[in-house]
Amino acid sequence: MKEHGFWRLGGKLYLAALVVFTMLPMVWMVITSLKTQFAALQYPPEWIPRNPTLDQYWLLLSPANAVGREFLRYLFNSVWVSAASTVLGVAVAVPAAYAFSRFRFPGRNLLFYSVLLRNMFPAVVFLMPLFIMMRWLGLVNTQASLILTYLTFGLPLSIWLLKGFYDNIPVQLEQAARIDGASRFQAFLLIVMPLSAPGITATAIYSFIMAWNEYVYALTFLNDKDRLTLPVGLQRFFTEYATNWPGLMAASFIMSVPVVALFLVLQKYFVRALTDGAVKS
Amino acid sequence: MTARSDGLLRRIVRHRADYLYVAPALGVMLLVIGYPIYDTVYLSFFNTPPNLALEDKIFAGLDNYGRILSADSFHEATWNTLVWTVFSTFFAFVLGFGAALALNREFRGRGLLRGILLIPYVISAVAASYVWRWLYHSDFGVIGAISVALGFTDTPINFLDNTTVVMPALIVVNVWKEFPFAMIMMLAGLQTVPDHLLRAARVDGAGTWESFVHITLPHLKGVTLVTVLLLLVTNLNSFTIPYIMTGGGPAGASEIWITHIYQLAFGRIRFGLASAYSVILFIVMMGLGYFYVRALTQGDERRGG
Amino acid sequence: MAQVRLGNIVKHYGDSIAVDDVSLTVEDGEFVALVGPSGCGKTTTLNLVAGLLELTGGTIHIGDRQVNELDPKDRDIAMVFQNYALYPNKTVYANLAFPLQMRKTAKADIDRKVRAAAASLDITHLLQRRPRELSGGQQQRVALGRALVRDPKVFLMDEPLSNLDAKLRVQMRAELKRFHQDLKATIIYVTHDQLEAVTMADRMAVMNHGVLQQYDTPEVVFNAPLNLFVAGFVGSPAMNLFPAEVADGGASLLGPEGWRLTLSERNAARARRATGGVILGARHSMIGLHGEPATDRIPGRVYTVEPTGDITFVHVRIAAANVIASVGPDIRLRADDAVWLSFDQNKLHLFDVASGQALRD
Ligand SMILES: Nc1ncnc2c1ncn2[C@@H]1O[C@H](COP(=O)(O)OP(=O)(O)OP(=O)(O)O)[C@@H](O)[C@H]1O
Ligand SMILES: [Mg+2]
Repeated sequence: MKEHGFWRLGGKLYLAALVVFTMLPMVWMVITSLKTQFAALQYPPEWIPRNPTLDQYWLLLSPANAVGREFLRYLFNSVWVSAASTVLGVAVAVPAAYAFSRFRFPGRNLLFYSVLLRNMFPAVVFLMPLFIMMRWLGLVNTQASLILTYLTFGLPLSIWLLKGFYDNIPVQLEQAARIDGASRFQAFLLIVMPLSAPGITATAIYSFIMAWNEYVYALTFLNDKDRLTLPVGLQRFFTEYATNWPGLMAASFIMSVPVVALFLVLQKYFVRALTDGAVKS
Repeated sequence: MTARSDGLLRRIVRHRADYLYVAPALGVMLLVIGYPIYDTVYLSFFNTPPNLALEDKIFAGLDNYGRILSADSFHEATWNTLVWTVFSTFFAFVLGFGAALALNREFRGRGLLRGILLIPYVISAVAASYVWRWLYHSDFGVIGAISVALGFTDTPINFLDNTTVVMPALIVVNVWKEFPFAMIMMLAGLQTVPDHLLRAARVDGAGTWESFVHITLPHLKGVTLVTVLLLLVTNLNSFTIPYIMTGGGPAGASEIWITHIYQLAFGRIRFGLASAYSVILFIVMMGLGYFYVRALTQGDERRGG
Repeated sequence: MAQVRLGNIVKHYGDSIAVDDVSLTVEDGEFVALVGPSGCGKTTTLNLVAGLLELTGGTIHIGDRQVNELDPKDRDIAMVFQNYALYPNKTVYANLAFPLQMRKTAKADIDRKVRAAAASLDITHLLQRRPRELSGGQQQRVALGRALVRDPKVFLMDEPLSNLDAKLRVQMRAELKRFHQDLKATIIYVTHDQLEAVTMADRMAVMNHGVLQQYDTPEVVFNAPLNLFVAGFVGSPAMNLFPAEVADGGASLLGPEGWRLTLSERNAARARRATGGVILGARHSMIGLHGEPATDRIPGRVYTVEPTGDITFVHVRIAAANVIASVGPDIRLRADDAVWLSFDQNKLHLFDVASGQALRD
């Protein structure tokens, strides 16, 4: 028991240190965002802002001024691109995952492995040819190009994840439904779909977060100011207002809030999305 | 009676309806992934004009490859990539595994703690990069201020503008962002270690350390493999953190393959050269990919249906 | 209700043959049990009847209709699965209502039928629960209820009792049998437990390696197995089988252990039909155990004794061969006692070694 206590204490100390490491940047981001520009540029730094202010947040979130309008525009674009690619991605992944789980058609393994392999390819490698292709398709500088890219890049993981869920739904349930009078499609829609809701949720939030945070494609495909998503918008904002660190921190904070909130509420699913498949019990 | 083993074509025809389910997914993947792979390989044999009028490209054979492999910048970037990938992976894994071990026990607030530790992984790399840039700021950075306050240095260090410190400084950011991934994977792995084995070991007189070495570790081999592979791949592919924080500088000290490729392609608009570079990266990835798919699909074939 | 007719049905999975040229007819209102060891193709056969699998060859008729190309939903059958396959996210009520909803039954009718089915199975109090909140036996009843709300032409049941504990299984067995009698339902019932088949079925079909071995009433299958497989499979403990040589022009049998058994006229005539050696089959109840030798008694030694309460099984060794006989509970035997075995000649089975087929009169 004594030995046990030793390890436990060690574990606690370790976790405490790790929490400090994890939280420090985020806490400092929030603290800075509450300072005035002048207060931010002090040495040594003000640990606790003497005159905390929400000015930067008003600036960013109020449609009454140019900066606010611009920022809200980015925010809206991000929501739209992430949501659209998530919904479309799930719609495409569901039937594919179902087929990989249930059917044994020739070439199934080959196709499935090539789907998985996509995870190995660096996004940047696809950037040039995709850029050329998008130009050719006339999609450069449209959000459609991003939606198409994100939905595709999310597919391998979505398919893999959903396949795991379908594998765990007994095929007898569908058979029972078909005997009870359902067509193949109805059996899928009425019986299998509701049971795979957790899988779909996991897939969806993972895709959403990935799309929300994606940077390099947005950077390359978009250049019209009105169409930028937040990550690129943030960078632009930084170049324009180079020394406004409180503003930048406030923008970073606002950008992080939706994904962190989504993540904290649906943590269980997100964790599942990350670990499923890699860990077999 | 029909032939025992039908021909491949026959089976494909019999299963034709099955392909409809995978067609949309495969369609977009061919378009967005398959075609670009082909195009990258193809372009890597050409010199492309800077205005991207691709009909004017000139066949260059293996010139691009030769140019890359002999360039000093390539060697420097390769070395940086190696340092970046190996150290990021190592520390992210060690930190994450440690956290997983400490969290692998029921206690109050465990879910909350896990949630907090995971936050760096879900927030945008762009936001993280700016936050860390601010933390590292040469004049007003909080890290500099802390190290002065604790007496480590006399004046704040200029982390991002110093060729020797820049790489470690970036790796810290990367580890900060990635250790949660290792943590969550290893935690999931730990939770599959059968309790009865641990109890049996305890009954047999094994201490915490012995049962960890003899029961837990062997059980984690598969997860560890997948986690390390995924970390390696992610790190080989990192772009955002180095690009936003230093842009590869100062003097190329934090230039890694990916940022270099981006710079070649979209800074200097040399698509042909950048494609050849990508193909090299590609080959490295395929090697890792082979192990990844193998590790991931073990046991999948046992299921029938 | 309807007749079900399987005509030379065949099912291949890739290169392996799961069902090999099976033909049988289940009469209207008949309870047929499909038995056989694990992997012999029972489930496959049932799924073919249900339309869940496509036939490789042959025809299936339900009533007057050839159903080869029909979807499961159009075959008017109901099925009870081994693991019940209750819809886990639906309440018991919704589970029972589902087949009716799929057939666009009016809401009021659905309610009436669901409640009637629930009442007949004594699960009315469970209607609002979900499957995972039910015991195994209760789930089993719900599965049965879902099959019978709709009053289909044929009931298909795939090992419906195999997940229940022994006591519950005996009770459900009786209820199922009663259910069949009351409804005059056509039932095809898959089980690997031959006791279930023997106790419930009007006729039983014994399968092995996808091939139908025998299809007859339980009495016939039990008392006159057509071949060695059926003889060994049906009955518990399994029939004792001894290889032997035909001697004295068929008048007696010689065992490799050195025993000799004089055959009755009828058995001698059968033995003469053998192409080579024969296998002698005797159920435990046909073997007498005696304390002293006599002609036609085979000497052996008690190996172990298993009292089960109302009957005691005695394992006897004849040289290296093991024989199981049974005696009344009041007969005391101990390990290593010398015993002599006698056979009831009227109930001896003889099989041809070469073909494995029973030797008939
Ligand atoms: N989907 C499939 N693909 C390939 N072979 C299969 C498939 N389903 C069943 N088989 C094979 O067909 C044979 C018959 O299987 P089936 O499920 O009908 O056996 P069963 O008699 O129901 O056995 P059990 O008593 O174990 O349920 C087995 O050898 C099995 O391995
Ligand atoms: Mg079966």
